[in-house]
Amino acid sequence: MTSIIQNRAMFTFTLFLFLVVTFGCNQKKHQPADNLSTGSSGTKYAKGFQITAFENYKRVVIYNPWDADKAKPFAVYYLCENDSISVPDDGMRLKIPLNSMVVNTFSYFEFLRQLDELDKVIGVTDAPRIYNSAILQKIQEKEIQNLGDPFTPNVEKTLMLRPDAIIKSAYAQQDTYNERLLNAGLPIIYSLEWMENSPLARAEWIKLIAAFFGKESVADSIFNDIESRYIAKKDIVENLQQKTTVLAGDNFQNTWYVPGGKSFNANLFSDAGLDYFYKDNAESGSIGLDIESVLTQFGSADFWFGCEADTYDELARKDKKYLLLKSVKNRQVFNNRRRTTPSGGNDYFESAIAHPDLILSDLIKAVHPELLPEAEFTYNKPLE
Amino acid sequence: MKNKKHIFLILIILLIVVFVADIFTGNAKISFSEGINALFGTSGNEITDEIIFNYRLPKALTALLAGSALSVAGLLMQTLFRNALAGPDVLGVSAGAGLGVALLTLLAGTSLYPAIASLGSMAQVVVAISGAALVLLLILGVSARINDSVTILVLGMIFGYVASAAITILQSFADPDSLKVFVTWTFGSLGAVTWDKMPILFMLALGGIAVVFFLQKSLNSLLLGEKYAVSIGLNVKRVRLIIIVITAIITGAITAFTGPIAFIGVVIPHFARSFFGTVNHRTIIPATLLLGGILLIVCDIISQLPISNRTLPINAVTAVFGAPMIVWIVLKRKKL
Repeated sequence: MTSIIQNRAMFTFTLFLFLVVTFGCNQKKHQPADNLSTGSSGTKYAKGFQITAFENYKRVVIYNPWDADKAKPFAVYYLCENDSISVPDDGMRLKIPLNSMVVNTFSYFEFLRQLDELDKVIGVTDAPRIYNSAILQKIQEKEIQNLGDPFTPNVEKTLMLRPDAIIKSAYAQQDTYNERLLNAGLPIIYSLEWMENSPLARAEWIKLIAAFFGKESVADSIFNDIESRYIAKKDIVENLQQKTTVLAGDNFQNTWYVPGGKSFNANLFSDAGLDYFYKDNAESGSIGLDIESVLTQFGSADFWFGCEADTYDELARKDKKYLLLKSVKNRQVFNNRRRTTPSGGNDYFESAIAHPDLILSDLIKAVHPELLPEAEFTYNKPLE
Repeated sequence: MKNKKHIFLILIILLIVVFVADIFTGNAKISFSEGINALFGTSGNEITDEIIFNYRLPKALTALLAGSALSVAGLLMQTLFRNALAGPDVLGVSAGAGLGVALLTLLAGTSLYPAIASLGSMAQVVVAISGAALVLLLILGVSARINDSVTILVLGMIFGYVASAAITILQSFADPDSLKVFVTWTFGSLGAVTWDKMPILFMLALGGIAVVFFLQKSLNSLLLGEKYAVSIGLNVKRVRLIIIVITAIITGAITAFTGPIAFIGVVIPHFARSFFGTVNHRTIIPATLLLGGILLIVCDIISQLPISNRTLPINAVTAVFGAPMIVWIVLKRKKL
């Protein structure tokens, strides 16, 4: 008898849950509402996005870097200045200029600062690792909220902030955080500049974010400036006869990640007039090597950039094998830690994307100080 | 007997209380009346509605389902293998699900991307269930040939080790971002189940649990040893097969939707036996379901506590906060 009652209680409870779920399945969703193109502003270097102006709105397309056929874009946005304009329904509709945003990727702080829109940031993730002092101060003053880990941000806090949009790094996978925000009607601007392989292409993404503030012409002039400064630096080393060889990356748990031949860093080395062992490799990400390969392939490299240590003593303590590298013997090792905060912020991961000319200048200054006598290091720091 | 009825009643009330408390706990400050309005209509604020109805409610339901289902799966394994340390993951099914997700994470950036993208956020669930199903097929292949539970247990654990080894190899090839995506999955998350996924989780988990109720007698016979069970006319081979399939479906489905959740499945059956002072499955099955649900919901509430704006990984909360609770109870009762 008792067991029947127990089972009945369980049954009733299960039934209640089933009802909750069945009736719970009716979610509330939002749907947008059609025009003639008035011109498309093409990008010079960046391959990841396109902005097309129509009479009443702008269409922004972010392409899918993982889809080889480019059949379906990663995201489509329709930007219009007032609510009465109807737009096609194959994309997210946003009212511009944006008044508030959550920024989930460090690389956009500098773009926003250059566009004079940094004050629109109301939420960030991974606050302890931020370098930008204006953002840090506003976090302290509680004007900007920290939403936690960038991979699993706090959903409820993000929703409560009700930002006009969220800028978020996109990966090859759908994540549930995105799904939650989109379901709630919050637009996500996907940050895919990191998939671009040249320094100028990455910097050109300022044009994308500028469109959301109606500041395309400002972005154009900022970018043209950067482009001309970059090319001027590149021209300095263009005709150097003797090429300096270079090693990059560092050892992490017995795997040394070096940049692939089509990667951002490989392109940067080429522009800086440096000779890189994997320059003809077809990989656009990084290549994992064991220490033996590094010693045989890069043992005689003249310079090493992107070391993860601050001093030569630290290197020797980590692993005596480092001392076998020519760059270490000759004390030609550099890290990216000139601008850091005690809690782990590093400006190299923030503003460098918007200043490819400065990254290039750092490399040239390190290898050929005589070519840039006036220049100071921005991100690079020689090991002590 | 009457006493038992009372305990069950108290547990059901406790379950309802913690379930409601879970819906009203979170980083967003939402008043009780706003929450009630959002649950049964609208609070007049679409963000509040969204948080309560589309986030917290499915999360609480997932906690209840996962806690109950994993605990009962652990009970099945402990009874079948007559091993106090057995849990839902001993058959290697969770590791199989993990292998599926690790493969997906690594292959997402390759030419397979369009196929993966077409699945959207269901991709992870599909690969995890496939990985779990693969391990299940292996186990079934083995159990068809071997008529000894302990050997099956050992082989199940070996399959688990092989799957974990394959995950480690895949991780060593992965770039840091993919690695972080995968590691985040292994933290476990109750908040990943949206309403459109809920019916699948419900069907698989509740389907499995429903079958368990029909196994009460057979499970009780198994407690006395397989030889005895055969002697009283139990088809041990068939029952073993059903138990393995049910455990694999429950564990595979839950792991696919929430990521691996440890601890609960091993500890709750012991706790239920000690709490009710019996090993009779007629009592222990519902007790395990209730206690598992309650504990995982409580763990979800704890994981929401604001610690530097982060939500603690549920997989860690279950052990870090669950263990002291259990130890305290054991010390009080002097015995598990």
